[in-house]
Amino acid sequence: MTRPDTRSRRHLALMLAPYLVGLVGLVLLPAAVTLALAFTEYDLVNPPSWAGLGNLTELSGDPVFRVSLTNSLVFALVAVPLRVLLALGLALLLHRRAFGVGTARAAAVLPTAVPEIAYGLLWLWLFNPLYGPINQLLRLGGENGLTVLGRTPPQWLTDPTDARAAIILMSVFTMGETFVVLLAARRSLPRDVYEMAALEDATGWDVFRRITLPLMAPVLALLAVRDVIASLHFSFVPAFVVTDGGPPPYATTYLSLFIYRTGFEYLRYGYAAAATLVMILLTVAAVVVQWRLFRRYRAFYRL
Amino acid sequence: MSEAGLDLVGVSAAYRGATVLHEVDLAVARGELLVVLGPSGAGKSTVLRVVAGLEPVTGGRVRIAGRDVTEARPGLRNVSMVFQSYALFPHLTVAENIAFGLEVRDTPRAVARERARTAAEAVGCADLLSRRPGQLSGGERQRVALARALVREPDVFLLDEPLSNLDLALRVEMRAELRALHDRLGATMVHVTHDQTEALVLADRIAVLRDGRVEQVGTPDEIWRTPASTFVARFVGSPAMNLLAADGPVRPTGAAPPGVPGEGVEIGFRPEAVVLDAAEGAAATVDRVEVVGEDAYAYLSLAAGPAVVARVPAARRPARGESVRVGVGWADTHVFHADSGLRYDP
Repeated sequence: MTRPDTRSRRHLALMLAPYLVGLVGLVLLPAAVTLALAFTEYDLVNPPSWAGLGNLTELSGDPVFRVSLTNSLVFALVAVPLRVLLALGLALLLHRRAFGVGTARAAAVLPTAVPEIAYGLLWLWLFNPLYGPINQLLRLGGENGLTVLGRTPPQWLTDPTDARAAIILMSVFTMGETFVVLLAARRSLPRDVYEMAALEDATGWDVFRRITLPLMAPVLALLAVRDVIASLHFSFVPAFVVTDGGPPPYATTYLSLFIYRTGFEYLRYGYAAAATLVMILLTVAAVVVQWRLFRRYRAFYRL
Repeated sequence: MSEAGLDLVGVSAAYRGATVLHEVDLAVARGELLVVLGPSGAGKSTVLRVVAGLEPVTGGRVRIAGRDVTEARPGLRNVSMVFQSYALFPHLTVAENIAFGLEVRDTPRAVARERARTAAEAVGCADLLSRRPGQLSGGERQRVALARALVREPDVFLLDEPLSNLDLALRVEMRAELRALHDRLGATMVHVTHDQTEALVLADRIAVLRDGRVEQVGTPDEIWRTPASTFVARFVGSPAMNLLAADGPVRPTGAAPPGVPGEGVEIGFRPEAVVLDAAEGAAATVDRVEVVGEDAYAYLSLAAGPAVVARVPAARRPARGESVRVGVGWADTHVFHADSGLRYDP
């Protein structure tokens, strides 16, 4: 490539400017401020005072922080595989042209397109233990408000374990983007490779295990990385709108909600910044680990 | 036919509502190498796909080794196919690629690998077994695809333009190897190509396909010497055969076949049959001369209108703009009905 002359360099700078202004003003500066605030005490009223490593020391001994950290990790560990698997299953089911496939694809993407708060409110109704449709379905055939098996239906919003499951359930259906990417990935796989397998009379399971999965693995790995990053965020709205971080003791208080409460409700900005720092480091660690696995995989397949 | 290899009886097929095969009849003897030749869109690949079961028939029957497989799914037909793109699995090694068919049919791994090695040796790619397709050249991929096709000892080999992605030198080499492999295995093969040279060199018999219909089936010699229609005559041979009205400017010399009508027929003669200094020839001007090594192709326009191509030794080629007198002997001339294009048989 030739060196751009002064004129085109000026053009480049001009066109990059809006993005750079946004990046600096909305991401880099706040990040730098957060980093700085993490080592101070700041309540929005009095000027920040230097606290050194005090916030981090306090975090390590804070039981609520620990619970939020565990909740976030468990959430990512359970929700990410479920989301990717559901998206993969739907993509494999719906990649062919057939009657109703278009509608089914739209239905799979729709929950992702619903505004988050509206989505949360919808689930608040779905989860209602008495008149919510989920539990009404579960009580079908049972007596005295019990399920067919004679068990109490899940107390979605009041039992700690059920509430965690509820948040995961909510997040599983917003895998529209993952689904769309996997759909495209499956459709881009060469047809003749599948015809080859058909000539060898390979079973559906063999085709999935020996062809589809390995060929889609690079995309799946990429989506899993992305989903882990995203899962730290999309646990916020459901926990905020539907369960309000409860039921006690902090069953659905995730890192994001913990940071929000610490900052905006208890006005401890320095402390919240320190927790944010931990969350970011955690994300980076997860990404690095997955990326390494992914790179080894790429080298192996030489794709 | 001797023993049954592959039989297509009145096979029709459609693609997106349009009929692409019209009642195709083909009989391939066991151990025969049939080349399906035709221009693109003639339905050549569809013939293979119908035999393989990758495309359903809309009529007719398909029999492999005497067994009616018209309704059988691809995996039960015992055919193997070499795709134009080779369709190798990019994530598997060459050995795994070749052994794939055996392994999904529950052959023990050690046996499958051993047979994969034998097949690889047969096509000369045993040194590539641990590589992956991404590391192979076009010719090497071709060999691997062949090895994968023959590892399972199928009843019929289907080859879909397997040589079309190779450069000329390699294509000529692989063509010879393919023929040698066929003779060694005694396998029944159906080979699809649009390359007439490949067809002439490779085939026991050639089936020329046009718009989903079989135009002619015959040995390369028959196709060359007695083309059944003007289509076959012009498709096989390069440059294509000259076709002129029988009562046109070029009057063949010598004894005409008995009973050739003076009107309603066309005469065809290959460029190599054209004489440029015929005493009673038709006047023509040389438009263009192409020299290909020892040969030269002279593109002529007759004074009366139509164009003619002549092949002459390069050393005795005419110059551009030169006037020549075009002649041809009846012995080198084919006669076709002008309206149907079919060969005139006295």
